[in-house]
Amino acid sequence: MKSTPQKIQHLYWRAEFGILPKDINMLKTTKNIKSAVKQIFERAKPIHKFSNDFDMHSLSAMKNMNGKQKKQLRKSARQDVRELNVEWVEQMAHPKKGTLREKMAFFWHGHFACELKNPIFAVQQINTIKKHALGNFKDLVLAIAKDAAMILYLNNQQNRKRKPNENFARELLELFTIGRGNYTENDIKEAARAFTGWFTNRLTGEFNFRQRAHDEGQKTFMGKTGNFDGNDIIDIILSKKETAHFITTKIYSFFVNEVEPNKKNIEELTTVFFESDYNIEKMMKHLFLQDWFYEEQNIGSKIKSPVEFLVGMMRTLNLNFKNEDGILFTQKVLGQILFRPPNVAGWQGGKAWIDNATLMVRLNYAGYIFNQAEIEIDIKDEPETKKIRVGRKIDVSANINPLMKSFQKTDTKDLAKELSDFLIQIPQNSKKELNKTFQKTAFEAYANAATNQNEKIKAWTVSILSLPEYQMC
Amino acid sequence: MKTTRRKFIGQMGLATAGTLFVPLFLKGFDSMAASSIKTSNKKLIIIQLSGGNDGLNTVIPFRNDIYYKERPQIAIPQNEVIKLSDEQGLNPALLPLKKIYEEGELTIINNVGYPNPDRSHFRSMDIWQTGSSSNEYLSTGWLGRYLDNIHLENQNKPTHFALEMDDTLSLALKGIKKSGFAAQDLNRLKRTTSTPVVKAILDSEKNNVAYSLKSHHEHSHDEQVSYLYQTLSNTAASSEYLFEKNKAGKTVANYPKNRFGKDIQQVAKLINSGCDSQIYYVSLNGFDTHANQKNAQERLFKNYAEAIEALRKDLRKTDNWNDTLVMTFSKFGRRVGENASRGTDHGTANVVFLAGGDLKKKQFVGQAPNLTDLDNGDLKFKIDFRQIYSDILKNWLKTNPKSILNADFENLGLV
Repeated sequence: MKSTPQKIQHLYWRAEFGILPKDINMLKTTKNIKSAVKQIFERAKPIHKFSNDFDMHSLSAMKNMNGKQKKQLRKSARQDVRELNVEWVEQMAHPKKGTLREKMAFFWHGHFACELKNPIFAVQQINTIKKHALGNFKDLVLAIAKDAAMILYLNNQQNRKRKPNENFARELLELFTIGRGNYTENDIKEAARAFTGWFTNRLTGEFNFRQRAHDEGQKTFMGKTGNFDGNDIIDIILSKKETAHFITTKIYSFFVNEVEPNKKNIEELTTVFFESDYNIEKMMKHLFLQDWFYEEQNIGSKIKSPVEFLVGMMRTLNLNFKNEDGILFTQKVLGQILFRPPNVAGWQGGKAWIDNATLMVRLNYAGYIFNQAEIEIDIKDEPETKKIRVGRKIDVSANINPLMKSFQKTDTKDLAKELSDFLIQIPQNSKKELNKTFQKTAFEAYANAATNQNEKIKAWTVSILSLPEYQMC
Repeated sequence: MKTTRRKFIGQMGLATAGTLFVPLFLKGFDSMAASSIKTSNKKLIIIQLSGGNDGLNTVIPFRNDIYYKERPQIAIPQNEVIKLSDEQGLNPALLPLKKIYEEGELTIINNVGYPNPDRSHFRSMDIWQTGSSSNEYLSTGWLGRYLDNIHLENQNKPTHFALEMDDTLSLALKGIKKSGFAAQDLNRLKRTTSTPVVKAILDSEKNNVAYSLKSHHEHSHDEQVSYLYQTLSNTAASSEYLFEKNKAGKTVANYPKNRFGKDIQQVAKLINSGCDSQIYYVSLNGFDTHANQKNAQERLFKNYAEAIEALRKDLRKTDNWNDTLVMTFSKFGRRVGENASRGTDHGTANVVFLAGGDLKKKQFVGQAPNLTDLDNGDLKFKIDFRQIYSDILKNWLKTNPKSILNADFENLGLV
């Protein structure tokens, strides 16, 4: 059985974005899991919304603009999206703002995957997700169905009585709620009819129900018949326990174990979620309070997503990016850009994050930071999509004073072990192997060459952050 | 960068790097790579038109009134179609393909699909990439299983034997024992696998062996970390080789100046250099045209056709074109009728292109799509896509298709 500090560290990696060096003592003083979980939920209460100070009038003025002005406006919109992306990453890395709410919002952003190109709509959608991140799943689904960016992304704007567009209805069932195997092609067609007329105002992003485009006729959906609209469809979908099961399976993979889904645990979560009428907070609280969440099997079992990797590194090393390029570049090069999921199914996750190219960047990342080197990667343009242009140089400085302070008194011979305990999530049985290898590699020679404690801490930190094991959380 | 690297090497005490261990299984790998492996000299290039390309506006049934009736806004006018037969012709943006067709090096296969078609992007892509039936879920790709198969026949191939020009690896190239290799830029790959940090990790022999030899992983952690170490060692072994081959390869043709053009050019370089990669996988994105399809599709087609034309020119110069087969597919076509937003929604059967110097006859395989006999607004498939895979596996890659596709498919005699 793992000790309480190790459990709490596991909790912080999964519920938030990892623990801060300055809080190492907190690990030792926190008495039990219950109080730690309580704190996690307390901290998650504030909603750190994006402020929307973009000029909406410029959009409505667009039709009177000449080509050059339009181009300029599009350019500034792209820039706004870049800034929002960076703002969110910095919130996640922020000691006070990177809470469970942001982690949940990050999860839901991957779940309701949507490309966000318009800054006004991006602010609107992410704020909506943040608001409902720990609330009720039904409110969240309904808000997403009425969300401007989603309506445009999945073509519900083109979904009208005479020519239904099924794109949104299909993804709602397949990816957002109940999952494959629980509905028919006909259910999709009928659901699409129910969502006809669910439009958005392209200029303001407000939801706009147009009676004239809505199909008022009878629909038969999942065995029920009636004059359904989108609300009814969502009600019917959520009345099925399969929907709770689909969501908790995804939650389990994201928060507990992405390799081995435990049927019994997922079943338990499903029941909690379904019986609470889709209360997300209750389900998550239940999850973090179960013994099985802290089992050895689940420790360090998850490959960090690029955003988790980046944010974790920012927290551990107090990274200060001189400009936004470094933050955007890292996401792009590792294969996960916020607001830009690859498609409506979101990021696949797990081993799919790792291929020969992305692994190399991850392993070299700490080295790049400490040597202020350029990451030598050409980012290829994708001709057909709007893209965030980024540079290749990450201009960033690390401040590892808090880390040095915490390990100032650690005995030199224990330094590698103590630091790796803090920096790496690893089950007990694999620890010995890791510690043995430290002694046999160039890493130890490198650390031994350092003349004082701080330099040794720095040397070991770079080495440990470069290990494949550091990719795990 | 150079100074920094040298400085870092000094800091890491890597002056002794030459005396450090090379991981055992890497040694084995090196010797395998060095020995001359007997392989077929046939190359296969797969081009994936991602998003679900509209086949009816690709190969146009220009005599069919229903086509024009169903597509009042997006149909290609008859006088613009590049006519290849009495009934069918190409989208004007595909003009470079005309010559290839007329010289007998392009085969157009009509109505390709599979029973109970799935219109979901992800599921349909999985079906095409794994070669499964629509009710069957496979976690390996058809090319990944080909790699597994030749691996079983004791012809150990390097990971780059199947190379995807991308930052991540598609399911099509994932096998159980062997998977393909993803590399968007080979120069970059070489640089990132030669940093001191990576070398130091590779040198930690015990670590590598400890993880890689564990046949039963106690924890999910071990399994994942072992995967990371193996990926690392394979990457290091392949990157050096590909780098050298890419440097040696020559091309002279004009490729479109964008990602797809560069990808195809790199394939041409590698093939011309005698690289031992056999399979190349390239994607062209952007075909999910729910709205305003016409311009978007034409832009993509121009890009595609110009790259194929350049590839053919370069491979002909080195006599490699006769040993190269290019298969272009998209996971589904679109509905026959256009939608209200001048686009098309997800459909079913679609057109597949084969191109190569060894095809020797210009031909359409299968009748033009029948627009009067539809399945709920969608085309009915006539040729199972796995028949094409089967032909390629059997007659081009010279392997037993049944062991890869798990069933017998009627031979089409395409290659």
